[in-house]
Amino acid sequence: MAVATGSAPPPPSEVPLLYRRGVRRLLTQGIYVAITAVVIGYVYTSLDLREFGFGFLNEPAAFKVGNQWLVDVDGVTNSRITMYLVGVWSSLRAVLVAIALSTVIGVLVGVARLSSNWLVAQMAMLYVEIFRNTPLLVQVVLVYTILLIGAPLIENVVNVGDFFFISNRGMAMPWPVPDEGFWNAPIWFVGVWVAALIAMAVVAGRVRAQRQERERETGQPQYGNRWALGVFALGAVVSFFALGAPVSMDEPMIVGTHYIEGMVMEPEFTALVAGLTLYTSAFIAEIVRGGIQALPRGQTEAANAVGLSGYQRLTLVILPQALRQIIPSVTNQYLNINKNSSLAYAVLYDDLFRVANIVQNKAGHALEMFFVIIVTYMLISFAISVVMNFFNARVTAQRI
Amino acid sequence: MKKLRFGLLAAAVVAIVALVAVACGDDDGDGGGEGRGDTVQTIKDRGELKCGVKQTQPLFGFREADGTVVGFDIEFCKALAAAVLKDHTKVEYIDASDASTRFELLAEEEIDVLIRTTTITASRDRELAVDFAQTTFYTGQGFAVRTDSGIDSTSDMGDAIICVQTGTTTEQNVADHFTDIGLEYDPQGGLSQDVADAFFSGRCDVLTADASDLASRIAVRDDAADYKILPQIISKEPLAPGVRDYDSEWKDVVNWVVHGLIRAEEIGITQANVAQMAANPPNTEVARLLGVPFQGGEVAALGFDSVDPQFIQRAIAAVGNYGEIYDRTIGDNIPRACTLNDLVINNSGCPDGQGGIQYALPYR
Repeated sequence: MAVATGSAPPPPSEVPLLYRRGVRRLLTQGIYVAITAVVIGYVYTSLDLREFGFGFLNEPAAFKVGNQWLVDVDGVTNSRITMYLVGVWSSLRAVLVAIALSTVIGVLVGVARLSSNWLVAQMAMLYVEIFRNTPLLVQVVLVYTILLIGAPLIENVVNVGDFFFISNRGMAMPWPVPDEGFWNAPIWFVGVWVAALIAMAVVAGRVRAQRQERERETGQPQYGNRWALGVFALGAVVSFFALGAPVSMDEPMIVGTHYIEGMVMEPEFTALVAGLTLYTSAFIAEIVRGGIQALPRGQTEAANAVGLSGYQRLTLVILPQALRQIIPSVTNQYLNINKNSSLAYAVLYDDLFRVANIVQNKAGHALEMFFVIIVTYMLISFAISVVMNFFNARVTAQRI
Repeated sequence: MKKLRFGLLAAAVVAIVALVAVACGDDDGDGGGEGRGDTVQTIKDRGELKCGVKQTQPLFGFREADGTVVGFDIEFCKALAAAVLKDHTKVEYIDASDASTRFELLAEEEIDVLIRTTTITASRDRELAVDFAQTTFYTGQGFAVRTDSGIDSTSDMGDAIICVQTGTTTEQNVADHFTDIGLEYDPQGGLSQDVADAFFSGRCDVLTADASDLASRIAVRDDAADYKILPQIISKEPLAPGVRDYDSEWKDVVNWVVHGLIRAEEIGITQANVAQMAANPPNTEVARLLGVPFQGGEVAALGFDSVDPQFIQRAIAAVGNYGEIYDRTIGDNIPRACTLNDLVINNSGCPDGQGGIQYALPYR
């Protein structure tokens, strides 16, 4: 390492004490350790009167949690941790649905903002400006209020063909349920179906190879992957039903003032998911727009020059490149959805935060409970990050 | 420049040292008070009572449009402020409407006393950092339904959607009760105001809460006739002021202010005649309760050394006796005669099997 300018650093002995690297490091680390020690010591001393531990989570819950789906826990014989996990499942459900919906809507709106159609572009801009500039809490509570006051009472339920109902107790719709023999289906059934699946996979592979071959020959897109997936899915479903599927559609009914059977989307869930979706999709739309606009105009012009249609230009040229910009930012939005799902508190939705609050109210142990809450949210965020990093690695694998 | 940087670094070091010192000092202070709080002194030093109250329940603790908080529970806050600070207006009403955080407010010393329709239970007494004083209001858990619902008791509530306030004893009672009668139900939980709104908008079939709570919410509605409260009561809900654990001095003051207000009703001391009674007490008991000498004798302090002997007198002068508080805040919305909150001494005129249980312990 030659020093070009000739102004060599002064020998260590001439540097003032506080500017020596070693002293600096020692000092900063010392300060860090001191602060940590003080914080831990303070927490520890203020806790010494209370019992610290997680044993209280195993005690009987003695409360029931609402908004259950696919689980049925009465809370009398179950432990507090079981009820908490029911809350976690409710949170996860809302987060996953909100992520899926906000991605679809966000991409559509983001692309629409760049549309050459003036009306479409302005509508998309209005959407973004409205939902990006109002608080999420307001949106969630507003949707909930509209659903409670605006939707008809169960007595005046809106009945669509006896299989779809809307009232202020939620939307009821048909839902497939496993028959009694579902989980202990005969071995031959499983064997035959798995064999059928393998056969379908082979067929799908052949179809894909064929179409890719034709694509190479003709130069026309043949959508090999999509065909293969379609063939496999169709085969799987057909063979499942051909074997006498042990699943039936459960159609909702109204008995007295209650929905029974079917799937009921309760207004609490709808309000939370709708709020999260509207809010986050506005941000995702902006991210998508930014990602597309960051591409050189030459990409669009080149796509036009080789005669691609508008849709092909978008899906084959623009979006695959824009994804490199989009995915990291969208990951942040997904993490926000996870964290913002705690706003369920405002709309009577029994998510993990509310259940944790109930437990804490009954048992005390606020510190432990918050520890559990934080760890849960972090685990969910971590899982989202892992999945998104996987996608990010895929889109950035190819250098451009 | 160099000097400035050194100064910053030095300042940071000094700040850290100070922080350590403060933390240690704080620790010493807490350690000394172990097992014995001094809330009375804290209130006096602050010059204001921090009262944790509900602000969303008509009749008990409710914030009016103009911002004032009114209700049955509020009167006890005023009585305590009058007793300790000699001024019933020196109260800061802290919003403890959210049932699931009310005990935290108390434990974290955000409030001095929790007067917020809170039920005494053994598990709360043991598991949470709360101690309960004398019950101010006896009620039980009831159910409100729409008049045309055809529901007459909980046995008609199979699969019903029940709105229930989370973080309350009602939540547990309803879970226990439905297990006992072998029926399923679907709970909708939330803050008390939110679940009441949900019920009145038709989201739930049933609203369950303390019967007094239900009565108070229905009484203030224009369409009150569309709702009814079932006669069935599934629990005991004695509502009492809560104080922090390990502070018997303050707990005793709260306790005896409540007893004093009930005793005042029993022996006919009212807001109107308390001054005249204090000037000229008719007997030794009245003199003792009001903290005044009887016929030139000594004033009995009874060992209350953190407040002066006239603390109950001031409470009565500020808000009246128990019956006056009840009539002024709750009145006919929840009838009192021959119900649990009537005085035991009035029970002679009641039908068989009915009567009050409000009974003041002797102040001597």
